[in-house]
Amino acid sequence: MSDEEDQHMFRNEEEDEDGHAEEDENVEDDDEVMDDSRKKNKSSRRHQEEDDEEEDDEEEEDEDDEEEEEEEEEMHGRKGKKRAKHRHKRSALSRFLDIEAEVSEEEEEEEEDEEYGADTFITNEHDVDDDVTRRTNALLDSSRHFEEEDSRSPEEIAKAVARRHRDRAAPYTGDMNEIPQRLLMPSVHDASLWQVRVKPGRERDIVFSLMRKAIDVEYTARPLSIVSAFQRDSLPGMIYVEARSSKQVQEACNGLVGVYPSRGIQLVPIEEMASLLQIKKQEATLDIGAWVRIRRGKYAGDLAQVMDQTDTGEDVGVRLIPRIDMNPRDDMSIDPQGKKRKKTATGPGSMRPPQRLFNYEEILKVYGRKNVTKRNQAFVFQNDTYKDGFLEKDFKANALITEDVNPTLDEITQFTRRQDGGDDNPVNLSAIAEASRKAAISVLQPGDHVEVFEGEQSGVHGVVDEIHGEIVTITAQGLDLEGQKMEIAARSVRKRFKPGDHVKVMAGQNADETGLVVSVSENVVTFVSDMSMQEISVFSKDLREAAEVGSGSNVVGNYELYDLVQLDAQTVGVIFKTERDSFRVLDQHGQVRLVQPHQISMRRDSHRAIATDSEGHELRVNDNVKEVDGEGRKGRVLHTHQSFFAFLHNRDIAENSGVFVTRTRSLASLAPKSNVLKTAGADLSKMNPAMVAPTGGMVGSGNMGRGPRDRDIGATVTVIKGPHKGYVGTIKDTNGPIARVELRTGNKIIMIEKTKIYRRYPDGRLEPLDKAPRNTGFATPALPGPGMGGYGGQPMNNGGRTPYNSGKTPNPYSGDSRTPAWNASSRTPNPYSDSRTPAWNASSRTPNPYADGGRTPAWNVSSRTPNPYATGANAGATSGAGWGGATPGRNVGGWQTPGRATQAPAWNAPAPQNEGWGSPSRGVASAPTPWDSWSAPTPGAAPTPGLHAGPTPAYATPAPHIQTPAAGGWSADAHNVATPGVMPNVFELTNPDEDLDGEWMFEPELVNYIGRVKVIVDSKQGRSNYSEYNGRRGRITTAQKVPTAFQQTVLVRFMDRPGQSEEVSLPSSCVVPVQPSYSNEEVLVLGGKRIGNALVIREKPEPGDKKVVVSSKETPLNIDNVPMNLVGAMYEEGSF
Amino acid sequence: MQAAIPPQARSKSLRACLLCSVIQLPGDFRKHGCPNCEEILQMKGAPDRISSCTTTQFDGIIAVIDPDNSWVARWQRTAKYVRGMYAVRVSGRIPEDVEMELERRNIKYRPRDQSDQD
Repeated sequence: MSDEEDQHMFRNEEEDEDGHAEEDENVEDDDEVMDDSRKKNKSSRRHQEEDDEEEDDEEEEDEDDEEEEEEEEEMHGRKGKKRAKHRHKRSALSRFLDIEAEVSEEEEEEEEDEEYGADTFITNEHDVDDDVTRRTNALLDSSRHFEEEDSRSPEEIAKAVARRHRDRAAPYTGDMNEIPQRLLMPSVHDASLWQVRVKPGRERDIVFSLMRKAIDVEYTARPLSIVSAFQRDSLPGMIYVEARSSKQVQEACNGLVGVYPSRGIQLVPIEEMASLLQIKKQEATLDIGAWVRIRRGKYAGDLAQVMDQTDTGEDVGVRLIPRIDMNPRDDMSIDPQGKKRKKTATGPGSMRPPQRLFNYEEILKVYGRKNVTKRNQAFVFQNDTYKDGFLEKDFKANALITEDVNPTLDEITQFTRRQDGGDDNPVNLSAIAEASRKAAISVLQPGDHVEVFEGEQSGVHGVVDEIHGEIVTITAQGLDLEGQKMEIAARSVRKRFKPGDHVKVMAGQNADETGLVVSVSENVVTFVSDMSMQEISVFSKDLREAAEVGSGSNVVGNYELYDLVQLDAQTVGVIFKTERDSFRVLDQHGQVRLVQPHQISMRRDSHRAIATDSEGHELRVNDNVKEVDGEGRKGRVLHTHQSFFAFLHNRDIAENSGVFVTRTRSLASLAPKSNVLKTAGADLSKMNPAMVAPTGGMVGSGNMGRGPRDRDIGATVTVIKGPHKGYVGTIKDTNGPIARVELRTGNKIIMIEKTKIYRRYPDGRLEPLDKAPRNTGFATPALPGPGMGGYGGQPMNNGGRTPYNSGKTPNPYSGDSRTPAWNASSRTPNPYSDSRTPAWNASSRTPNPYADGGRTPAWNVSSRTPNPYATGANAGATSGAGWGGATPGRNVGGWQTPGRATQAPAWNAPAPQNEGWGSPSRGVASAPTPWDSWSAPTPGAAPTPGLHAGPTPAYATPAPHIQTPAAGGWSADAHNVATPGVMPNVFELTNPDEDLDGEWMFEPELVNYIGRVKVIVDSKQGRSNYSEYNGRRGRITTAQKVPTAFQQTVLVRFMDRPGQSEEVSLPSSCVVPVQPSYSNEEVLVLGGKRIGNALVIREKPEPGDKKVVVSSKETPLNIDNVPMNLVGAMYEEGSF
Repeated sequence: MQAAIPPQARSKSLRACLLCSVIQLPGDFRKHGCPNCEEILQMKGAPDRISSCTTTQFDGIIAVIDPDNSWVARWQRTAKYVRGMYAVRVSGRIPEDVEMELERRNIKYRPRDQSDQD
């Protein structure tokens, strides 16, 4: 205790003395804000030291021999010695007061806090090691001794001091640890904190500079008087300096680069001082399994999952999908060790390999066995460890991005799928949600419907009123909280949606999709897109309620969904998805690319491209085809490329929006082409010179097989107007009213209106293009003189037509067939009405070669052409539309039926079997005509004529051929009948038969009869497992089509067990119609051109029959053949 | 007596003592140990010890020029320590053995990560 007393004594004396010095100093420090006397006391020590130093300086000036090189302590010692001389009792002891003085100081400072004061005191008493006390005593002793013993050499003194300090640094006491932090709050007696603006990024350097500067100038005339300086990473552009006055701060910062004292040195309010040091960087603590991104290097931006980390948190072991260069330079595979350095050197310039699972086999192939070693379950390759396909690697914590990771569903799925080896394990969506939760705060808007999902208010939902930082105020809805306002942490609420809401996606890769919510689970909302009808799952935070239906613009730049585009010289692809400003393109190798519009060099047109399928048939755009090998996928041909690749589309396939690429050679048409077609071949028409005739016989042959196109192409014309008037040329191409004419002179192609060119016949006559061409091309060789002369005068009469036939085809029948045929048709308005009946007898029984021949070869070409305009899979619908289109035409007058009949032969006219005109077999060719009366009443077809009316202008051009018979005696009305609207009819007549698909029962044409159709359950169809119903018979009671993405089901009432009535919902694909089995059974045509007709079986079908003989109930004499697979037997009307 | 002041402020290898939060270069820790707590941490010449008792994970740097008079130093509980550069916040905890040793000496261990502010 005596020490203690001593110290107090010293202190008091010091204070007395310091009184003066401090006054001086206060004069200097005009900025000094604290003039409290207690403050002076507290700070006395520092000032005293400053005083001492100043005094020293003066003294040292006097005594030049004094050196500054010596240790601070020693100097103090000397000072003390001097002072001991000058001022009595102010001894060297003062410098040894460190600990004790500090304690007493605190004691004083916290005087009012009795308890605390006592605490510290006692604590110090107890805590400070005996050792320390002993040493302090010893020191005091020695200093007294020191005082007395002046005789000791400076070396000895220095040694003693050094020893003292070495000892003193040794023990760790943690002596301030017991004080609660709140008691360390700053008081008015402490130096203030001053905020100084600095250059952002230089904060650390400046703090270090201040430290070094303080040390450097410590013993100069102008030492720094600041106490401390600090910087926080979270406060860029500023440092804080602890000093008594702003002047001191200014002095300290003077001359430092990057400090902007001119921008103000601001005092930090005392209550904010502590918080500056308490700022906690909101650190996403890295938990195992957390998602991070790699900051830089090869994996920059890649998602990784934390696996482990060191205790200090410096190194983090993560797992990520490797990017291994599978096409290393040759030399690298030879000597990977040696070249690895080279690789890193060339790294930045080279392309980043794609993310790919580590595959041992592949790596072996590329890098050789030597470079991959297996260790336990992992592989070591190029010093990295790969396990389960993932790269496992340690990263420094600061090389990882831990905030705003926002992993996408895709990325996470990659991880989980690979992790589990299968995708049966559902993705832990909540983990992702948690990862992107922070972002969720920023997506709330007033008016949003939210629900509280955690905390006390969990379960409450309401509408956001206002958002204040992290707090949202919501007006609760429902139950007893109705209308109540409450404040909730933003992170505890999430947007609320319910099934049936119409929503729009605001962010992410599905941005701008809209749809109807079908299910909500936690914060994952699943909705059915308005555009694609696909189910899409997104986080609720990315959704917003919206009335609008997705603009879903499928057009970006000049390119559109499903366009075939050229990516580079070797690569083409089909756009299967448009995003905001980019496309997803499936190229011909099956790779999906993300492409910006500017990366596309051009759009390709494959509408005219023809490829060959596995059976050697032509394959065109819009054909419905099936893979014969592989996965057996079906689809509609979007494009063909180089006759080798076919891009198909099938909405049922989720991948790549249903677009896939395959080889044309592995495709087969879904709509089977009849054998006749195959044997007779599409080429029949090509062989048929009649078809070529109108074109003038020069260039026409190449045009065959293209369907109805401008018959004027190839015609020789003369320009009658304009600058090229008088020139002769050949029409190369037409586009609406414009024709491209290759001039004979000058080897030049000009674009010219059709009205300005006239057809030129070899005899030099000119005629407008829209007049039917004469057949001079063929007539000339066949009938040289008479042909020309005879018809020259009246090119359009019947007579002119007749030699046309004979001239073209060296046909034995031509001679006799000619006259009666044309006579019959030209004279009587309804020539077929009488010929029909006998014709049926013949054709129905015997396979009349002409029946088929008349229909098929001439037609097959044209029959396919309407298809491009058809909607796709349902050729049935097309035919329906076709017939429907005909309906108004028939209503014009009483003669329509024959009118239509003649159109059919009009097309047939060029066919070699032209003797069919008027002959019995002719009736077969026109056989379908009578059935018009059947289709007429079907309402389903009626609304659709427009469908084909639009695209058919091309058909207008064939009109001249139709005109020919018409001109022979038909009124001008006949032309009208032959207008485009009717033309598809004609094509439909020969539309190839097709199989029923699994959804035949949904055809609108069948709706009147569907309830009577006998069906049988075939569970093997459509891969459904309903075997318990297999083979059961019944009828369909309800068939309602649902959106494509869902399984189509029908309600079937079983009729096979009398007395039981059982209704079961079955997939439509496993319900097949029962084929008719006995004569007079009622059947319904379920597909094809006569879909929806209820007919009666006229002949008992035999097993293996491809066709059944049917007629209508009303007119039993009008019999017809219908493909067996397109009819379904019906229960008798009123049988249930 | 003062801590070694690292010459380079930008140096990525700066390490902060987990016990007293003084910032030095690893080399200085190796040569001189921790200027404040060498007695208990004994890092001098022990790189393993250095890596377990110091860390690069810290935030904010204080230049403590005059520890005794600095409120900042007192708030940071470094007022009794030597002059030098200190970290405002240090992530991590000292190794268990040091923690036990402190307990044995009846010294309360206060982690430097500002996790317990009382």
